[in-house]
Amino acid sequence: MNELGRLHPISVAVREMADIFGRMGFGVAYGPELEDDWHNFTALNVPEDHPARDMQDTFWVKDRPGSVLRTHATSVTMRALEEMAKTGAVEKRMINPGKVFRNEATDMTHEAQFYQLDGFAVGPTGSVTLAHLKGTFDRFYREYFGPNTKVRFRPSFFGFTEPSVEIDVWFEAPGKEGRWLETAGAGMLHPNVLRNAGLDPEKVQGFAFGGGLERLLMVKYGIPDVRLFHSGDIRFTYAFEEKKV
Amino acid sequence: MKVSLTWLQKYFDMPLPSTDAIADAFTFHAFEIEEMKGDLMDVKVLPNRAADCLSHRGLAKELSAILDAPLKQDPLRDPLPEFPQTDALMVEIEDSKKCLRYMGALVKGVKVGPSPAWLREALEAVGQRSINNVVDATNYVMLNIGQPLHAFDAAKLAQHDGRYAIGVRSAKEGEKITTLSGEEYELSPSMQLITDAHADTPIALAGVKGGKAAELTSDTIDIVVESANFDGTLTRRAAQALRLFTDASLRFQNRPSPELAAYGMRDVLALITLIAGGEVAGVVDAYPTRPEQDRTVAVSHARIDSLLGRSFTIAEVEEIFSRLGLDTSIMNDTFTVTPPFERTDLTLPEDLIEEVGRIAGYDTVPATELPPLSGAPNQARYRGIEKMKDHLVEQGFIEVSTQSFAKKGDIVLANPLDKSMPALRTSLDENMKMAIEAAKHYAPLVLAPGQKPKLFEIGTVFAKDGEKLAVKTSEPVVDLPSIEDDNAYVPVRYELGAYRPFSVYPFVVRDISMWITDSDEARGAVFALFAEHGTGLLQQVQLLDQFTNTEGRQSLAFRLIFQSFERTLTDDEVNALMAGITAALVAKGHEVR
Repeated sequence: MNELGRLHPISVAVREMADIFGRMGFGVAYGPELEDDWHNFTALNVPEDHPARDMQDTFWVKDRPGSVLRTHATSVTMRALEEMAKTGAVEKRMINPGKVFRNEATDMTHEAQFYQLDGFAVGPTGSVTLAHLKGTFDRFYREYFGPNTKVRFRPSFFGFTEPSVEIDVWFEAPGKEGRWLETAGAGMLHPNVLRNAGLDPEKVQGFAFGGGLERLLMVKYGIPDVRLFHSGDIRFTYAFEEKKV
Repeated sequence: MKVSLTWLQKYFDMPLPSTDAIADAFTFHAFEIEEMKGDLMDVKVLPNRAADCLSHRGLAKELSAILDAPLKQDPLRDPLPEFPQTDALMVEIEDSKKCLRYMGALVKGVKVGPSPAWLREALEAVGQRSINNVVDATNYVMLNIGQPLHAFDAAKLAQHDGRYAIGVRSAKEGEKITTLSGEEYELSPSMQLITDAHADTPIALAGVKGGKAAELTSDTIDIVVESANFDGTLTRRAAQALRLFTDASLRFQNRPSPELAAYGMRDVLALITLIAGGEVAGVVDAYPTRPEQDRTVAVSHARIDSLLGRSFTIAEVEEIFSRLGLDTSIMNDTFTVTPPFERTDLTLPEDLIEEVGRIAGYDTVPATELPPLSGAPNQARYRGIEKMKDHLVEQGFIEVSTQSFAKKGDIVLANPLDKSMPALRTSLDENMKMAIEAAKHYAPLVLAPGQKPKLFEIGTVFAKDGEKLAVKTSEPVVDLPSIEDDNAYVPVRYELGAYRPFSVYPFVVRDISMWITDSDEARGAVFALFAEHGTGLLQQVQLLDQFTNTEGRQSLAFRLIFQSFERTLTDDEVNALMAGITAALVAKGHEVR
């Protein structure tokens, strides 16, 4: 009997997301999980003495000062922006799906390692705005969650964006009442970040975003415990009815 | 920041709208609300606004801008008085980078006692405990305008030539202090102390907590009041190292303007003399480096529109800045703003753009789709990786994802979460070994009968010379290609149904075979009978085998899997279930073999 194998639900999700974003002109970028301080913090406008750099939030490498397990996939955005500066590109859109690490106790909703979908869109001044961020996510969530989905922004704060927003999505799980979910942090790339990448904030601008992948999947499929994802357990891979599209 | 709505109301002539409306105003224009309970609202002030908004005044000012309702009175805009001078108090700051400002006041002849009802109620409304009138006054002013304050009993300080001396210096290695709550802390030189400078003894942990040595009592008559500004990082690290997070340390770590200290001093002296009596003998102000005043930030009208993606009129922007109390001049379509001293967050044009966006409301920003780009986006690496996954799935491999931490490896973490897994994996081998063992065990639950579990993982591994993406399969694959970039490959897409929970308890497998009376109807009945007699513990029925013999009798063989979602099943229990099923089959005329 030649049975087919199965993809992990995160692979299934990333494919769906890469497809939706791909149709909006986004490529897919990867970067190192073991990062340097510059790409994970400094270049992203996270000051030297910021609490996020403390040992209780970030995994640091022994005997290698400045070496850190990336705390967000925004480090990949930073590398892509540097690449833009090097090649003289003024327009780029990328999503960065990847594993990130946080030094925090694990429970049903927290894991020390999880996936994020980060990304950015940059273009000449005026061409990529906060309204485009909204338009991009409006379309993304409608295609990913269904036509009744809406998005809204709330003010937030991240060192690497200004203005910064929290993206909420109105999600109606099958048979349940709809509710607003906090799904991603985003905003307009901070001029210091563009400058740190070697780009001219007078000439280019853009948005960046990032959010946890498992969290989205937990909501979409009703998965109760985040620790199931990276347990290596085939019962999890098989806990879903699967249909080829 | 816990705020009382009654307290906020004191800032407005107009009655505030409903709690829900206030919560929405904050949520969509400023800060998330963590909790609402009656008069109490817990506002999650964002880090860039913690310098001015960890206070009722700061949040009232925000609400005033959002609701376009003027403040009745703004303590930070009321002019400062000329404080009386005194020779009876000296202040010495060792390092002006660590202590940006220290104001000390000597107040004589106070009567320490219970606070008036309004003050007790105000503090209790935000979850604070009333202690005595003087301490309550310091806490009230802190919660009102955000300036941490402290009061010492002057009688417990040494006097030389009729003068008290307050010192601010680094702690010595191993130096100890007993705080107001009676705990003793051993300090290190990275921490800063307030001392009785004449005796060189600690009286407070700077910016964190007061010391027992100069605690106020009901006998206290003369007090020294502190309104200071300590370095944010230093204060945060001290609080963290000692695990002593206080209202004061929380505020200092967010770097409020040192200008605020004078407003705190003005208000606390007024309140103390009002409710505890006494007379202000004088105020000393050690303020080595005053920050630059009248900073300006400019932003063009075009830039606001081009970043937010909607058009504002000059008048709209002007009105928003005016509601926020930002002094603005307009020339050639450029807004030049002079932020008030407490708005330390406003330094760049983008900061002003955020103010416009959030006060106008992000709901007014349209959802605009990005214009199409020419050419296909670069997804080559991703598609190459997915091609490999599809190749393996086609050959029957199941994808798993495992942890990146390992017992041993080339890269060791300085601060592992799990001390038994301090390293990063150098290969996927160990995890695969464990995953395939488990998979073999669970195979009957999820795979077709006879299907052999085969697993793969694609994940990052970490060697001395760098990290790389590794592919691991649970058994060798003939001619497995390597991952190559391929932008033309279209990954197979799947749709998943809702998650079906699985039991974490052990399962029991029993096979059963039988001759049945030769009809399709009978076959259906057999399944129904399993379901009925499995009593909810029969998770799966798999048809293993069927044939019809030369005499026309039909044989069926099933694998039955029993499992509970609540407990481990015993053999006896499953035996009883099997006996019930067998009896029922026999009763229907089937022959169980």
